[in-house]
Amino acid sequence: MRILRIVFSLLLLAFVSSATAQVKLTMWSHWAAEKIKRDFVEDSIKRFEAANPGVKIEAQWYEKTALYAALKTSLRAGTAPDIFYAEPDQTEYMDNGLLLDLSSLNWPAIEPWAKEIWSYKGKPYGLPLEASTVEIYYNKKLMADLGINVPASMQLDSAAVLDLSKKSRSKSMTPMALGVGDRPFPGAYLVQEALLKKLGTADYDNLLKGKLSWSDPRVMDTLRLIRSWTDAGLLPTTFTTLKLGEAHTYFHTNPGAVMFVNGSWYTSRAFNPPDKGGQPANFPLGIMKFPAIPGAACNECRTLSVGGSYVANAATKHPKEALAFLNSLATPDTANRWLENVLVQTGIKADYAKVGGPYAGYFRELQATSQGSKYYFGLPFQVMQGKPKEVFTQVFNNAFPAGSISVDEAVKQMNAAYGK
Amino acid sequence: MISRAFLFVIVALYTAFAAGPFLWVATMSLRTTSEISLDHYAWPEKLHWDKFPQAWFNSNYSVYFQNSTLVVISAVIVLTVVGAMAAHCFARYRFRINRLLYFVIFSAIIFPPQITIIALFQILVDYGLYNSLLGLTLVYIAVQLPLTVYILESFFARIPADLFDAARIDGYAEWDIFWKVSLPIAMPAIATTVILNTILLWNEFLYAVVLITDEAKRTLPLGIQRFMGDQLEDVGMIATGLMIAIIPVVIIYIFFSEKLIQGMTAGAVK
Amino acid sequence: MEAAPGRRPLPLISSVQRQPWGAIIAFLLPAFTIYTAFTAYPVVRTLWNSFHTVLPKNEEFVGLDNYAALAQDEIFRRAVGNTFIWACASPLAEISIALLLALALFAKIPGMRFFRVAWFTPVLMSYVVVGIIWVWIYNYDWGAANAILRALGLERWVQAWIGNPKIALPSLILVTTWMWTGFNMVVLLAALHSLPSEVIEAAELDNCGWGAKLWHIIIPLVKPTLLNLLVLSFIGKMKIFDLVWITTKGGPLWSTETASTYTYKRAFEWTTFDLGYPSTIAAVWFVIVLAAVLALTWLFRQRDRLEY
Repeated sequence: MRILRIVFSLLLLAFVSSATAQVKLTMWSHWAAEKIKRDFVEDSIKRFEAANPGVKIEAQWYEKTALYAALKTSLRAGTAPDIFYAEPDQTEYMDNGLLLDLSSLNWPAIEPWAKEIWSYKGKPYGLPLEASTVEIYYNKKLMADLGINVPASMQLDSAAVLDLSKKSRSKSMTPMALGVGDRPFPGAYLVQEALLKKLGTADYDNLLKGKLSWSDPRVMDTLRLIRSWTDAGLLPTTFTTLKLGEAHTYFHTNPGAVMFVNGSWYTSRAFNPPDKGGQPANFPLGIMKFPAIPGAACNECRTLSVGGSYVANAATKHPKEALAFLNSLATPDTANRWLENVLVQTGIKADYAKVGGPYAGYFRELQATSQGSKYYFGLPFQVMQGKPKEVFTQVFNNAFPAGSISVDEAVKQMNAAYGK
Repeated sequence: MISRAFLFVIVALYTAFAAGPFLWVATMSLRTTSEISLDHYAWPEKLHWDKFPQAWFNSNYSVYFQNSTLVVISAVIVLTVVGAMAAHCFARYRFRINRLLYFVIFSAIIFPPQITIIALFQILVDYGLYNSLLGLTLVYIAVQLPLTVYILESFFARIPADLFDAARIDGYAEWDIFWKVSLPIAMPAIATTVILNTILLWNEFLYAVVLITDEAKRTLPLGIQRFMGDQLEDVGMIATGLMIAIIPVVIIYIFFSEKLIQGMTAGAVK
Repeated sequence: MEAAPGRRPLPLISSVQRQPWGAIIAFLLPAFTIYTAFTAYPVVRTLWNSFHTVLPKNEEFVGLDNYAALAQDEIFRRAVGNTFIWACASPLAEISIALLLALALFAKIPGMRFFRVAWFTPVLMSYVVVGIIWVWIYNYDWGAANAILRALGLERWVQAWIGNPKIALPSLILVTTWMWTGFNMVVLLAALHSLPSEVIEAAELDNCGWGAKLWHIIIPLVKPTLLNLLVLSFIGKMKIFDLVWITTKGGPLWSTETASTYTYKRAFEWTTFDLGYPSTIAAVWFVIVLAAVLALTWLFRQRDRLEY
């Protein structure tokens, strides 16, 4: 009898504990070194857990390349997390049915162009948290010291760029910090933005998708223009090996450069405390548009791309909870919180007028550079696939800005990659 | 005759070339990154010994070190036993397919890792051994088996046949002959393969990078690589980390240099 | 049973005994189990993969499509070319310098034991460690290479060693030379020491010039060892991965792309999960390596006539 009672109470205990059992979701994310974004996500997790007792999310933070490698192998092995970081260029996830269909999310709260970027065969697969444009950050003081005046339009022209390069080199300063040691896209910023402006959105799209030849005179003229900039010593000597994080430091701390071309997510590293790689206190940060290109079809065109997003594993055992978490991010409140704290654009609809916080001033400047802009959605390496992408990366991210390949040779390689 | 002095200069220059990089890293390991940024080549003015415990505890080095130790020691033990068994058999028994089987194993030394690595990844996933230290250990055993068998076989073969005949007459069973006659005599060769395998597996990178993704299961080479975080290149800490990786190897080398040199050059001298 | 050429005859166990097959199988089983499971089977599976598109959820037979694509792949051609250049240049450099150093030590420079130990050390280091150190050495701004050039007043020669497509590969070849010369030197020194001293003394007496002595007497005597080292070094360079991965990852502009880095990238870094194409690369590369090694050994066997 006593044994029966013990067994019964144990069974009851087991039943009760399983009924209130915690659902545990695993999440892998990039941004291990970007405190602001990491804090934001962890804060969002806490809010979600508070609103949903019984669900716990365990987040693991990685560096991007390590994350991608780990995901690639673990997705194959069936050991991937429930939620993970991804960027829209990773179509191989969708091609292989590895992601959960996110159609049930609160899409009215999300920008339509962001949804479009994440759509595959008509269904959306990612929550577009981060969006960014390509900006030129500059040191206001150094710029003033060189006697260069940034007009009210916030856009220099090509002659001013050459002038700036010459003047800073004469003072042994690097005009523009930039490094491609560990990323396949920063070097290409120069070429891509210039080409976008010269060609306009339609022809730029054609160019990236192989429908317009790279031998087009407008393309070659633009490449020659960029070549003239790099020949004037625009970029650091260590350009090919300088890492992304190091490039930031190169610009704002040591040795210091006049300009830095970067995605608008610059802030997520630069606004870290200085001892964690952030810019020094009271750094005279300025922001301006990419220089105007002579003979451009659209000098107000710029790239807007979706960056860090979160997706759900198709094989997750807790789809409901995973979707609930992603949905919790798709609110205007989240968007504003993101804008105020991370100071990068977002794919979630936000009330831009309401953005306050200590960095509101910077944010207004960021908005100012985007005023009157026409957007092309997507970075080249997100839009291109396979061979052309590989060649583009090697040629326009690395070799061309470094000056190791001529305009003609670069064009030849790109055409060949498309099979022309 | 070339003058002694000239030869000595050449020798000295080459020594600077060969040992210089290590000396540089050793000095950098005792300086902080800010000191290094000021002057990359200065002698440390303050010896920051505390960087070593810092690297060890704050950066997961202890985890990487433990993983490497576990994997390497297990792999080497199994390798030695299994390899010796096979080598003894190849060396001492006559049977028609002896040389053929030996060649099959020996030829694997030439195989480039690519031919196996993709399939190994698939196989380990299939058996649930992917991203596990056990899986990595098994792969390591397979990778070093050909070399181990090769070195041991040539040594076993040199043992005079009379010893075996005598043992057989004395009534020893085949296993006893291996365990009590062959192995003890072959101890020098065994020692050599143990040291050789330890060093090669301690430094192994490609298989580890493909087959291990969990932070907690990384081996030392993976750990060092990851240490090069993307924010600031913390040159000082990386140098300290490198020294931690180099030191065990150097210690083994100091104690066993003769054996090691013999082992690594075995078969190369004709 | 006849011995393989150059080896001592296989000592025979008394032929009165019948073969203890039980024991033989017991001794060989563990080794062959591991070998089959983790070496032989993967090779077969890789070959099988090469005829398929291998995705996480399905595999599709594609016949020779992957091979056809590979034939058009210039990156692969470049990678093979780079690897061959490496596998030919590095051994030649390593071994010739090693020979000179061995001779220097052989001429009884004091401190031989110290040098032997010091020069052997680079070989023991992980390629990861070596890679990181040499990336620092090759750093444009503060690396030792450029610092020394600047200190010597040779500013014109300062380069972005691994950032320049034209000199990235030679820069890496220098690194492997740095690593392996010590190893080759130790082997050659042992070989020199094992030469019969009468021959050396006879050469001394003959009053030959230093160059002639080297060319006509010493080199022929150590030729078997030299050739052996060349083959070993060649094989080692054909396999190289770690060093490239840590330093240049195959860049810039594929100038240091090797068969191994390209296979890894196609398998784990391109935006596809397909393992079929990289398996094709691995299979073709496998055949190339085997053919090259066989050709090399055959070539050297022809000239390896001096045995003693």
